[in-house]
Amino acid sequence: MTIIFLKNIGRFVFLILFQVLILNNIQFGGYINPYFYIYFILLLPFETPRWLLLLSAFLLGISLDAFTNTFGLNASACVLMAFVRPFVISAISTGTEFMVGHSPSLKNQGLKWFAYYSIILVLVHHFALFYLEIFRFTEFFQTLLRVLLSSVFTLLIVFIAEYLFYPTEK
Amino acid sequence: MRYLLYFLQKQYIYFLFLALEAISLLLLFNNNEYQNNAVTTVSNRVAGSLLNMSSNVSEYFSLRRVNRILAEDNAKLHSNRSEAFYKADTGSFYQNDSLYKLEYRYISARVINNSTNKRNNFLMLNKGHRQGIENHMGVIMGNRIVGQVVSVSDHFCWVMSLLNKDSRISGKFKKNNQLVNIEWGGGNYQIGEVKEIPKHVVIHKGDTIITSGNSDIFPEGLMIGTIDHFTIAQEENFNYATIRFATDFNSLSFVEVLIDMMRKEKEDLKNSFKSSER
Repeated sequence: MTIIFLKNIGRFVFLILFQVLILNNIQFGGYINPYFYIYFILLLPFETPRWLLLLSAFLLGISLDAFTNTFGLNASACVLMAFVRPFVISAISTGTEFMVGHSPSLKNQGLKWFAYYSIILVLVHHFALFYLEIFRFTEFFQTLLRVLLSSVFTLLIVFIAEYLFYPTEK
Repeated sequence: MRYLLYFLQKQYIYFLFLALEAISLLLLFNNNEYQNNAVTTVSNRVAGSLLNMSSNVSEYFSLRRVNRILAEDNAKLHSNRSEAFYKADTGSFYQNDSLYKLEYRYISARVINNSTNKRNNFLMLNKGHRQGIENHMGVIMGNRIVGQVVSVSDHFCWVMSLLNKDSRISGKFKKNNQLVNIEWGGGNYQIGEVKEIPKHVVIHKGDTIITSGNSDIFPEGLMIGTIDHFTIAQEENFNYATIRFATDFNSLSFVEVLIDMMRKEKEDLKNSFKSSER
């Protein structure tokens, strides 16, 4: 139990640093900005209590906001994503029992399950994030393009990470 | 009462969700009012020292370009020295103190965090209160504008870059002093929008836009950019154009913060005018 806890804290710190120091400096024509740090929320164990899910998502978002001077922007998108997560899991559940202490992963749940899971949650987060950042409808389609392109890149990194770090987890 | 407690207990997750969302949205939409509160000061210090470390490493990669820019600036300054002028009458170069008062002071600062890929971009500089920086000061690079200071802690400050939806610069055509507004519409960081160009102004591609000096933030005559494309409106009263920024926002490493030495005087004047209006 403690190990899972420490593992998640380590992941929290690593993902924030990775996002702030590397991904935020990536520049692809002004439209693409991958937000890989939400991988933390994707990987929280299945039996995480919902209040902890919401609180840790809030902390994650507000920590990233401190580095980009956008207080509340990432936090609200992350809280929304964490709120939606249990509904997504139950909606796409395959009926098999999830093992205690396990995180959602491509190896355990299969490609199809994990793809549905991550695509829905990343889209929820990115939609909330980019439309809150603009907060006007005049640039609707331009923002939609940003949402979709950035989501593709975030998902790409998520899948690369899945194949890199969890290749033999049983 | 028991049912109420039961209801709260059963539905607490929704209340927690709503409470957290409310906190974040309040923070988001009141950001301008709470800029200098304790939370931002502490977070500025933490974020600032980390970003400072990261920029200490990454600045080595841009040394060659920074050197070139410094050499250019040096050359420009040399050409302004009195030795560079033909001395017909030495007396004419004497600067009389009562005529020439220092209006702007420049503080050089290093950019330790910058972005151009978001809709609202900010820069963090390694200078703060201790070095005399305050809110609403202008930030420039050479004679090109960068943005304005929006939040200051002891050793760092956040600068709202021109690449921000809240940024609105008052500019004018260099050739005929016609006033326009410059904004950034997202997307390409090199291209901005020029709004409210009066219909009678003849626009050409490559026309230079400079700051108007109407705002308190920038003095007159700083370079903003050149006209890139323009459309002549048929039904509306104003024409529209896009502008290619003179500043390369993606490669900022050293900038200058403008300290207006007469700002207090200007503000006092404005306030006295307001109070006499009442």
